[in-house]
Amino acid sequence: MTLLIGALTVGLILSLLALGVFISFRIFEFSDITADGSITLGAAVAAVLLVHGVHPVIATAAAFFAGTVAGTLTGIIHTRFGINKLLSGILVMTALYSTNLHVMGRSNVPLLDRRTLATQAEHAGAWLFGSTADLRVWGWDVAMRDATMLVLALTTAATVGLLIYVFFRTNLGTAMQAAGDNPQMIRALGVNVENMIVLGLAVSNGLVALSGALLAQYQGFADVQMGIGMIVWGLASIIIGEALVGVRQLGLIITGAVMGSVLFRLLVAIALRGGLNPNDLKLVTAVFVFVALVLPGLVTRLTSRRRRQAEAQ
Amino acid sequence: MLAINTIRKTFNPDTPNQVRALQGVNLTLHEGTFVVVIGTNGSGKSTLLNALAGTFIVDEGSIVLDGTDITRWPEHRRASLVGRVFQNPFSGTAPRMTIAENLVLAARRGQARGLGWALKANVRQQLRDRVSQLRLGLEDRLDNSIGSLSGGQRQALTLLMASWLRPTLLLLDEHTAALDPRMADHVINLSEEIVSRDKLTTLMVTHSMQQASNLGDRLIMMHRGAVLHDFSGAEKQRLRPADLLARFESVRRAELLDESAAQMLRCAYV
Repeated sequence: MTLLIGALTVGLILSLLALGVFISFRIFEFSDITADGSITLGAAVAAVLLVHGVHPVIATAAAFFAGTVAGTLTGIIHTRFGINKLLSGILVMTALYSTNLHVMGRSNVPLLDRRTLATQAEHAGAWLFGSTADLRVWGWDVAMRDATMLVLALTTAATVGLLIYVFFRTNLGTAMQAAGDNPQMIRALGVNVENMIVLGLAVSNGLVALSGALLAQYQGFADVQMGIGMIVWGLASIIIGEALVGVRQLGLIITGAVMGSVLFRLLVAIALRGGLNPNDLKLVTAVFVFVALVLPGLVTRLTSRRRRQAEAQ
Repeated sequence: MLAINTIRKTFNPDTPNQVRALQGVNLTLHEGTFVVVIGTNGSGKSTLLNALAGTFIVDEGSIVLDGTDITRWPEHRRASLVGRVFQNPFSGTAPRMTIAENLVLAARRGQARGLGWALKANVRQQLRDRVSQLRLGLEDRLDNSIGSLSGGQRQALTLLMASWLRPTLLLLDEHTAALDPRMADHVINLSEEIVSRDKLTTLMVTHSMQQASNLGDRLIMMHRGAVLHDFSGAEKQRLRPADLLARFESVRRAELLDESAAQMLRCAYV
């Protein structure tokens, strides 16, 4: 049960990462590898502020803000200096590695005995239920900390998902979608496409950093290595989500990204429990994303070939 | 209204691929004039339209629209004054978004876009009314994605979008060249209806001599990045496709003469 709740919580926290990657990858077709750096940036900023006794909500908000700055940088490098999308992301990601070390002052910042959103949530839970004892949910014992953290992650993911949905229904949001879909058209309708890309990447990396900040508070430390391969994780979540709910409607895609992240985390937890060597995790994730990206095209080709053969006979 | 003063543009200057696309174009348009632009391939017709739309900034000369010097304005800023329909039917609409969303984007052409709800319930009836003017039955498919429509349907929608807010200048860049004949006719009829109804100042590039002689109240023929002929008034109305073809033929012969004369001189003296 603890394993399940843990996987759900991490999946929901990382769904913010998936939503961020959704904006860069699906709206702008921008494989923004800045995410690998900005998730750590979010964790680092939040952790250092928490160690200095800053209120958890403010520390988390600051992490989001730091992420938007990183995304803005990538956007400006790409749009104003004409550097290729992938390379812009790589430059900022590399720069962020040093930045993160500077922010943290060392490679790992533990949050033991610090006031974090996790402890705040635990207090709120205790106040609500009148005790800090374990809760009994459908006959299972659940630690108060785990339960409240799950609720916190769920609320955050739902709120952020709803905000993104509403945003893409506004004038600014539809213009941003169009800027990714057909830049020529929206430029002719008076939108500065470059600014839209910068804004989109800022929001995207802000969400990724927010995800990092929550993850650090949940697991109790920030580590300079924690961002490696996270973009692929986000992509995997989106692809699973699209397989679950399709790619037609924005609301469904957003829900799908959250579901995909949770499902993927559950699969990983099960695989690790079943004996998967943790060292192989990134390899398996990369292979999975590769297969998921290639498979749809391969299936259409095979079926059309089979149909042609059938017609020939 | 629109004053184009000796604009020049050279692409890839000082390289082997140098193209002197516009070589001093002068043109003045009165409000409400419908100008048809014809010319040989590479004569600079589309380049002229792109110069007006701001796809690039001209090297020399100035463009004054409605009393405002827009020579240095970037493309997205000019959009507040200029409506455009592209040659490629897929260029003017966002395929992954719905018809309604595309139209609502066009309804704010050149205006600030904030966090207001894009598709308010009360605009749907207005969308239906105006889409039904296209006579394509699209008013019942407002929530379909643009990507599911044919090129002709998309081009008709682009025309509607470009003229949704009355543009100070409307640019039609061979907008029926890629459509099947029936749909091309329909889109041309729609264009004429909209232009005459709203009295739009319009520049339309075309390769169809039929369209060139039937439409508009002024016709210019471009050659080598400059205006070669300029017909208006009764002279324009008298022009028939055959007359235009004759003009093209004489241009072609002049070209040949240049070439053969150069060849002769080369043989004789080099």
